[in-house]
Amino acid sequence: MGMANQMTFETIEAVGKGFAGAGYVCSPTIATTLYLAHHLQKPILVEGPAGVGKTELAKAAAVYLKRPLIRLQCYEGLDESKALYEWKYGKQLLYTQILKDKLNELIEGTDGLAEAVARVHQYDDIFFSERFLAPRPLLLALQEKAGAVLLVDEVDRSDPEFEAFLLEVLSDFQVSVPELGTIQAVSRPYVFLTSNNTREMSEALKRRCLHLHIPFPDERLEREIVRVRAPEVPARLREQLVAFVQQLRELDLKKVPSVSETIDWARVLMILNADQLAPPLVRDTLHVLLKFEADIEAAEGRLAEMTQKAVR
Amino acid sequence: MERALCDFIVALRGSGVRISMAETLDALRTAALVGFKERHILRDALSAALAKSRAEEAIFTDCFDRFFAADGLAATGTADPSGPDSEQAQTDSSLGQMILAGDATGLSMAMRQAADRAKITGIAFFTQKSLYIQRILRGMGVEGLDRNILRLSRENGEASQETADALKAGREFLFERVRDFVERQYALYAASAQEAILERYLREMRLSNLEQRDHERMHRIIQRMVKTLNDTRSRRKKAAKRGLLDVKRTLRENVAYQGLIFEPRWKARKIDRPDMMVLCDVSRSVEAVSRFMLLFLYSLNEEIARIRSFIFCSNLAEVSHIFDQCGLDEALGRLQRGTGLGVDLGRTDYGQALRNFKEAALDRIGRRTTVLILGDARNNYGNPEPGILSLIHKRARRVIWLNPESPPFWGAGDSEMRRYLPFCTLARECSSVNHLERVVAFLVRTG
Repeated sequence: MGMANQMTFETIEAVGKGFAGAGYVCSPTIATTLYLAHHLQKPILVEGPAGVGKTELAKAAAVYLKRPLIRLQCYEGLDESKALYEWKYGKQLLYTQILKDKLNELIEGTDGLAEAVARVHQYDDIFFSERFLAPRPLLLALQEKAGAVLLVDEVDRSDPEFEAFLLEVLSDFQVSVPELGTIQAVSRPYVFLTSNNTREMSEALKRRCLHLHIPFPDERLEREIVRVRAPEVPARLREQLVAFVQQLRELDLKKVPSVSETIDWARVLMILNADQLAPPLVRDTLHVLLKFEADIEAAEGRLAEMTQKAVR
Repeated sequence: MERALCDFIVALRGSGVRISMAETLDALRTAALVGFKERHILRDALSAALAKSRAEEAIFTDCFDRFFAADGLAATGTADPSGPDSEQAQTDSSLGQMILAGDATGLSMAMRQAADRAKITGIAFFTQKSLYIQRILRGMGVEGLDRNILRLSRENGEASQETADALKAGREFLFERVRDFVERQYALYAASAQEAILERYLREMRLSNLEQRDHERMHRIIQRMVKTLNDTRSRRKKAAKRGLLDVKRTLRENVAYQGLIFEPRWKARKIDRPDMMVLCDVSRSVEAVSRFMLLFLYSLNEEIARIRSFIFCSNLAEVSHIFDQCGLDEALGRLQRGTGLGVDLGRTDYGQALRNFKEAALDRIGRRTTVLILGDARNNYGNPEPGILSLIHKRARRVIWLNPESPPFWGAGDSEMRRYLPFCTLARECSSVNHLERVVAFLVRTG
């Protein structure tokens, strides 16, 4: 880790402030976990409802640390060749064709097959060198000189086999490419894994990570988040809209609005030049917050009451 | 402090959080990093390092608060602020000196050390509490203090009397603190013992005797069991995955070898997901057990995607939708009472139930379907229709019958079990979780 990073992770408060500067407002729990992850050099497994800012956290980390963000989106069927590396087959083929003459020259004058093979053997691995290697996100993250921020997004969607493979990478930060040998991380990447809990991750993976659960923020924190993410919204409207969203989360909805939807709504209200909440305005823009028809219907019944409460 | 952390981890493990050696080391490093000054930071940090899910986080917080609760000595009011008195030099017991000096930290330290020597972490039963209290007090040197008090109170002179009174009050206070301390330690360390014992007990005991409040725990055991089934399945899957040649991938990946098929690539074989139909008897004769059976059914519904559930008594009705709509308690209640489900809770009629099942679902049974029947086969001397079961047996991959009665009773009285037996791939007695575990193991083994 470079000197600059040493500075940025000096204290827990410094981490909190730094991330706020990068546009991410941390709760104390998040700041503590980020601080620990740096000092223990462990990945963070981030869980929480959708839209609560799991991916944002990794992006903010990249901005804060001034390191590139490398993202690996997981899905069913993701395998090593898409996550780690692949050979550039086309290039290999092309080069063997182009270099055909050279190869002929090379084996010219050899006596018999055995000698020709021995001659070619001297240049054995030329087509399996790093020039012909197409690195994928995991390898890229390991090769990054100054270290990278690696985001393994929605790791719960990947197969158990891939999870096992990931274990190897995350515990030693090295991978082996059979043709090249072991590749060690130049500088350990700062790793985030996010999970939406569609399936339980294995014990082994959990053990190698710090666990961070991000719940929906409380009212004070959410106001702060809106302030940082949508600074154009005036203070009064900000308080009202956050109060409204907080009430909405209390309702029995199919999908409660997340933080990203609060921010979207704040921006929509700004575009509409609103300076405070009123029932008609809320009714017209409710689809920004709620994505199911049934939810909108359920919320509309109590809309006036909730708006009044939020405005007060 | 390391010692305290290790004790804390023991307590956490006892409460059901699994913590490995590597995590223990992490916790020690974490504590060294953030320090012990700020309680909430330490808690957040340790939680990140040790708790691995939301449930564990809740347990962790609870445990942390109990473990690092102040031991009350800081608030000691025993200090006699009369300053260095010539009379007080008479207390030659170090404990007495600490009491008189109001040295809360010293007392707290002495108590913890004595507790360590007394091996408080070994406490397992509430009957041991007084034993540990005495051990700790003795370890702190309370005997010397007692002798001291006795000697002082025999002496004449106001100063000695005063000191003796102060020491007595201090001793009383100390006793209470130690008692509280042992009380807390018991809650921390014995919870583990209790839980383990209770769990073993529940697994062994007859399900009919299960009480309402234990269902929650039972459910967890079953979930763990069903998870074992899943894990085993995924390992098997990997071994048997290779299928047909994948022409497209083979060509593409072998371009590197000038199109020579050097490294063939295979298609992954399609995985057979378990396909299940469950028939559950809810008549009065199996009432107590059926509640457990339904609990099992509920867990299965959570874990297996393709499952259809039926309950029967005088007739049969499909109840698959209940599991999606209702929570555990509500679902079990509704299934047992049969309200609004179209099931008639009169005399048990296996014949009618099988006829209903034949109409409703026989044509949906394929060669991958497992049919699971939970019931005692007591048919009130009606027509048992074994022919229908034979039909089911022919179509399905396997028919499993779990009977709460033990085999000697099969066929006795109105039990038709003997007549159904030829058409069951597997028939087992099942009235405790251990039985159930064996059935699951069999299912996994035979794939």
